[in-house]
Amino acid sequence: MPINWGLEFFDPFREFERLQEEVDRLLQLTSPFIPIRAAVARGTFPVINIGETSDSVLVYLFAPGIELDKIDLSIEGNILSISGERDATKALKVENVDPARYYRQERFSGRFTRAVTLPDSIDPSQVEATYQNGIIKVKIGKKEEKKARRIEVKASC
Amino acid sequence: MAEKETKELAPREEQAPALRRERPMIPPVDIYETEEALILVADMPGVTKESVEVKIDENVLHMRGEITDLPGEDVEPIYVELRGNEYYRAFTIGPEFDLDKIEASMEAGVLRIYLPKVEAEKPRKIEIKVA
Repeated sequence: MPINWGLEFFDPFREFERLQEEVDRLLQLTSPFIPIRAAVARGTFPVINIGETSDSVLVYLFAPGIELDKIDLSIEGNILSISGERDATKALKVENVDPARYYRQERFSGRFTRAVTLPDSIDPSQVEATYQNGIIKVKIGKKEEKKARRIEVKASC
Repeated sequence: MAEKETKELAPREEQAPALRRERPMIPPVDIYETEEALILVADMPGVTKESVEVKIDENVLHMRGEITDLPGEDVEPIYVELRGNEYYRAFTIGPEFDLDKIEASMEAGVLRIYLPKVEAEKPRKIEIKVA
């Protein structure tokens, strides 16, 4: 390292960041067991993504291995809530699960409840939900007056 | 001289975030042992029977899954907790499993791998005789 580094070149905080990046890179090269870098705490269930199109709002609830009769999904105003219970031991397909025989238990098990606020443009009366490959997809239509409209620009001569 | 040093560092800084975005998600896993087998269960929502790959390479069990049904181009994200479309995880395994009899199944976004133990490795009860 050159000793004549001026202040403009040496930012100790930037160096910490760089070190972190280098360590991450090293971990990635040597092992797949790298810490997750996500905004959501590990263990949050279900994880939620929301998207919108010009005429609807789509909510994706990542809820693998649930039994639909143990799930309660509801919409009130523009708040969508999900609650229920997931028994993670079901997926083992073993009779009489003995907790002492687990080597690793990372999957969520137990009761959960989550709620999200949706945009004001939604029409709570137009809702449909499907469950496929562990994802609950909720499609909520937008109010007629809130739908995006294409405005045609006319040339005036 | 100082300027030369910064130039050398710059490309690496640009590479790092790009690599991070491509990194697959790590699925949560449960591992359970019975007398006959080891059972591994991984949560991979969005992955189908066709888009999951379970592979044993020497002593490493690899599992990879891809989310195939992604939202269309017309869907604009407004709130995102889950980023990425691929899951990957690997574990080293010992020689006590019968590799020819491994079974894997995918149901409602949950991958289950059944690793049966070879006959000789199953627990045997040792009888203690009174002399």
